[in-house]
Amino acid sequence: MPRNLKITLAILSVAVLIGLISLRSLHRRITGLKENPTSEEQARRELLATTTSAPTDARTQARIFWAAGPDRIAPVQVALALSADPVKRGKQVLNELITDAPAADQRTLPADAVVLGFYILPDGTAIADFSEALASEMPSGILSEQMAVDSIKSTLENNVPGLSRLKILIHGQEVETLAGHVDLTGFFDLNPLSAQTPSAPAGNPTPSGTKK
Amino acid sequence: MLNRQRIPFLATGHFFISAILFPVRNSFLFVAMIPLASAFVLTATPRSITRSLQAGAPSLPQQGQPATNVPPQQAAPPPGVPPQVAQQPPVHTGPVIVIDPAHGGTDTGARGQSGVIEKDLVLLMARITRYALEREGFRVVMTRNDDSNPSYDDRAAIANAYRDVIFISFHISSTGTPNTAWAYFYQFSQTPPNASAITANANTLPITPPRTTSLLGWEEAQRPFTAASHHLADILQADLTLRFSGSPAAASGVAVRGLRSVAGPAVAIELSNVAVSDANQLVAMAAPVATAVVHSITATRPPGGQSGIPGTR
Repeated sequence: MPRNLKITLAILSVAVLIGLISLRSLHRRITGLKENPTSEEQARRELLATTTSAPTDARTQARIFWAAGPDRIAPVQVALALSADPVKRGKQVLNELITDAPAADQRTLPADAVVLGFYILPDGTAIADFSEALASEMPSGILSEQMAVDSIKSTLENNVPGLSRLKILIHGQEVETLAGHVDLTGFFDLNPLSAQTPSAPAGNPTPSGTKK
Repeated sequence: MLNRQRIPFLATGHFFISAILFPVRNSFLFVAMIPLASAFVLTATPRSITRSLQAGAPSLPQQGQPATNVPPQQAAPPPGVPPQVAQQPPVHTGPVIVIDPAHGGTDTGARGQSGVIEKDLVLLMARITRYALEREGFRVVMTRNDDSNPSYDDRAAIANAYRDVIFISFHISSTGTPNTAWAYFYQFSQTPPNASAITANANTLPITPPRTTSLLGWEEAQRPFTAASHHLADILQADLTLRFSGSPAAASGVAVRGLRSVAGPAVAIELSNVAVSDANQLVAMAAPVATAVVHSITATRPPGGQSGIPGTR
């Protein structure tokens, strides 16, 4: 057998061996992915969630506003390690609002939504930046969209002091509506000083329970 | 009287003309006669047939149906019928009612598992309400009467073309207690809407100067009418609550985008919800909703009467 042919066969044999080893590991990875389906949004949320709480954060009773029926929201007491920094604190309670609803039917925001950023301006304006899933996976309707906005508003009002108004962005951009109805081009008032017309779905919330 | 019954007759005539000309389809005569035959049929079809179809009993929306904003009262009387005082269209000196079926086109709105599609049901609801209002002598204009999807501003522009207008927008929710109805008015923030330049980077936030002009911006056209809209929505909600138990007692102030640029009293009605197992449950709500709309508008703005709504033009 010519020497060149021997070398070629040897190289091909090594390549086949490497391919077989790679195929086994690839097969194992695919099987693992099938067992733990994680969307891109979920992976991003897990990554962001690890950065939002620190060991020094004090454990306090947060009031998170979830749905308490088909057309109203109510606070639930949740023991959370919250930061003293209002910006981190705001992000923590919004993450809690999205990820830890006591039951699926109490969810007001889509499970795949992610808090991409939370900022507070010197005048007390809070800016909450959510991923596109907040808009794309939100059930269509004035009622459902208003419940979502009210749950964000009430959760921030009750857990982050000093906020005067809220601006909601989607993926860093101002959008016209949340899911076709509720106007997101303006601000939402937080902690209004004077009694106003209640925005009905969240009007007169009563505590509905304690979690954790 | 020219009506739908004549359409089959005309269609039959067209068929016979086509059948006679079929053997000579290759001749010059055929080529010349086709447009003549078509012209004959078209000219024999009165415009009133189209109008009577569009303004007659409400029917389910159909793809490709042309839009019309002409109320049936403006249609000419059928030929051969002498004008009578009783058949004269009422004089419209009251408000123009603009009915807005939400969504349309590719924007289907809420969809139920039983096949309920919001855009179709709200169009049906709008047509029934239009019929009920016109019977009471109101002039009614629809923002869409087919499967189109005008923008929010286009819909508002239709309403803002009239000096004295009431805007009613129809929606169906995907959540909420079934068989309930909610009335909404636009609630503005206490802070000015100067956030158009906000980005996610707080370091680059510009400080927008306060408005110094006295002109009313398009984006805030609803602001002077908030009290009027609230008043109308409360009356409407009270009527809806009587008809649909479980509905809230008072109207809700929500920043519904479709109402923001309307320069007149504007309310949105949302029925719950598309998750019903049978679409007929929602269809059955249409007539009571239409009656509630008529009652609430008549209570505040009778056709030809004075405004009972504070802040109206």
